[in-house]
Amino acid sequence: MSYKVIDVAGDVGVRAEGATREECFINAALALYSLITNLDQVEETESEEIEISEDNHEDLLVSFLNELIFIFDTYGFVGSRIELYLKNKTLKAKIYGEKFNPEKHERRLLVKAATYHNLVLKKDNNLWIAEIIFDI
Amino acid sequence: MPKIEGTERIDPYRIRVPKGFVQGMRTEGIIYVDETLEQELEIDSVRQVANVATLPGIVGNSLAMPDIHTGYGFPIGGVAAFDVEEGVISPGGVGYDINCGVRLLKSNLTKEEVEPKIRELVDLLYTHIPSGVGSTGKIKLTPKDSEEVVRKGAIWAIQMGYGEAEDLQPMESNGCLDGADPELISKKAYERGRDQLGTLGSGNHFLEVQYVDEIYEPDIAEKMGLFKGQITVMIHSGSRGFGHQICDDYIKVMIQAAKKYGIELPDKELACAPFKSKEGQQYFSAMKGAANYAWANRQCLTHWTREVFLMLFKLSPRDLGMKVVFDVAHNIAKEEIHLINGKKQRLIVHRKGATRAFPKGHPELPDFYRNIGQPVIIPGDMGRVSFVLVGEEKAMKETFGSTCHGAGRLLSRHQAIRQAKGRSIKQEMADRGIIVRAAGRETLAEEMPEAYKDVSNVVDVVHNAGIARKVVRLRPLGVIKG
Repeated sequence: MSYKVIDVAGDVGVRAEGATREECFINAALALYSLITNLDQVEETESEEIEISEDNHEDLLVSFLNELIFIFDTYGFVGSRIELYLKNKTLKAKIYGEKFNPEKHERRLLVKAATYHNLVLKKDNNLWIAEIIFDI
Repeated sequence: MPKIEGTERIDPYRIRVPKGFVQGMRTEGIIYVDETLEQELEIDSVRQVANVATLPGIVGNSLAMPDIHTGYGFPIGGVAAFDVEEGVISPGGVGYDINCGVRLLKSNLTKEEVEPKIRELVDLLYTHIPSGVGSTGKIKLTPKDSEEVVRKGAIWAIQMGYGEAEDLQPMESNGCLDGADPELISKKAYERGRDQLGTLGSGNHFLEVQYVDEIYEPDIAEKMGLFKGQITVMIHSGSRGFGHQICDDYIKVMIQAAKKYGIELPDKELACAPFKSKEGQQYFSAMKGAANYAWANRQCLTHWTREVFLMLFKLSPRDLGMKVVFDVAHNIAKEEIHLINGKKQRLIVHRKGATRAFPKGHPELPDFYRNIGQPVIIPGDMGRVSFVLVGEEKAMKETFGSTCHGAGRLLSRHQAIRQAKGRSIKQEMADRGIIVRAAGRETLAEEMPEAYKDVSNVVDVVHNAGIARKVVRLRPLGVIKG
């Protein structure tokens, strides 16, 4: 799992890494889910599929994460494994997970949105790095 | 020596952020801080005050209140007004949690009557009022209901039986902003909001049982119906996923609109459009819909709070006397008329982590408050105190009738959790006589008192600066959090 939580004054951020841009996106998404609950408790009984296009990869990352937040907030779906494909500026992802159950899943943070604030998406040597701040 | 290089102290309660602090500033920034709170200023938040000053059509100064801290685009604690014809509207000046706000309820009960039953009361409130991650409410909105909530706000809730018509008057904008068009809100926002009406949320949202601990202005307190030892309830909550989705939807629209209208953005989160443009008007209308959802939400939460009290204390509603003192929004944009250089000017006033504070005589106030001014509800952290203030005339002259909104965070969540290691915050609160229940595992650590600035300092600055006046101080007895 290549991600960690970043300390930010009033909110919370994550830093994700990956060998490819796709892997970086996946780890950012898992980082987001780890803010919400303990991923070790999440089984893969259901899946959700999404497809998004934006003008650039930064916007795509933010939109992708906001879509996951929307799916969690609306359907209670939380993921623990993700398959993701990027072609040009279009993203297709399949997320494996289950419905959030407060009796089973640890309640961590209520994430309102992924923001563009101090957004980082870059390649450093051979590593893709993303940093995103979430409003909580 | 200023804490942040480039700023200058104007007087004991204000510092100036001069033009040139960042490129393109059209006006100066003014931050309300005394020398103590100035030491806690973050450079990023000051830069944000300066960035806001670059936006077109800004009238007066780019302002920030003493609870200032770094936000998205606008700082939290930010106030900025724009001319309706020449200026812009920005979702970043409102926040993701549109109409996050606070409501204060009063009652006929006293501390002596409630304290012996406080544990039971907190448990009942905790079970009756959904809160925390993944919580859904008892109300499931049909598409038609959702449209009505958008249009009518708290009025919808009252029509559905959640409260009384008299609850509406002591509310900012009577709990409903006109002009919310349900068509301008996305399907996703409706889906997200469908099951969340009547939920508290999480993070710094809370429902707190308090008592009036100190009275600073006896005549004003009396007109608000407040007395020493009285039990009050404070509810801090917003528009939930509904509002967050609307903000996210419109930030995207505004990023494109800013390009279209040639507005240079020092920060993507400052995305904006001319207020009179199609995009500006659409966001404003959708924002009103979200604000109305939040007022409907606080109305539902009020209703269930009353039910719990009635059940536990076995009183009639009349004997309980749980009435609304006031309900304020602290993340919102309002169209208001202000006197600028002696002339009336119509402005779009953004308050993000800032509260409206109209003085006595203002026509928008309900008649029972017109002689004292608008009550301003200022929540503190869960271990310390909260305040009720009243708006002052100086606020109209200096801050577009605005004041602070709360304590402002001091520690990051991580720092707070680290400092709480090995401690039982729940027990520490109980030792102080405060019973807390929270849904989230780390909530109490993240929200512990040391994680916040001292709201008393924040309130003293606005009081001494003359933009709001302290009326009463409230102390917590029991708190529920998400």
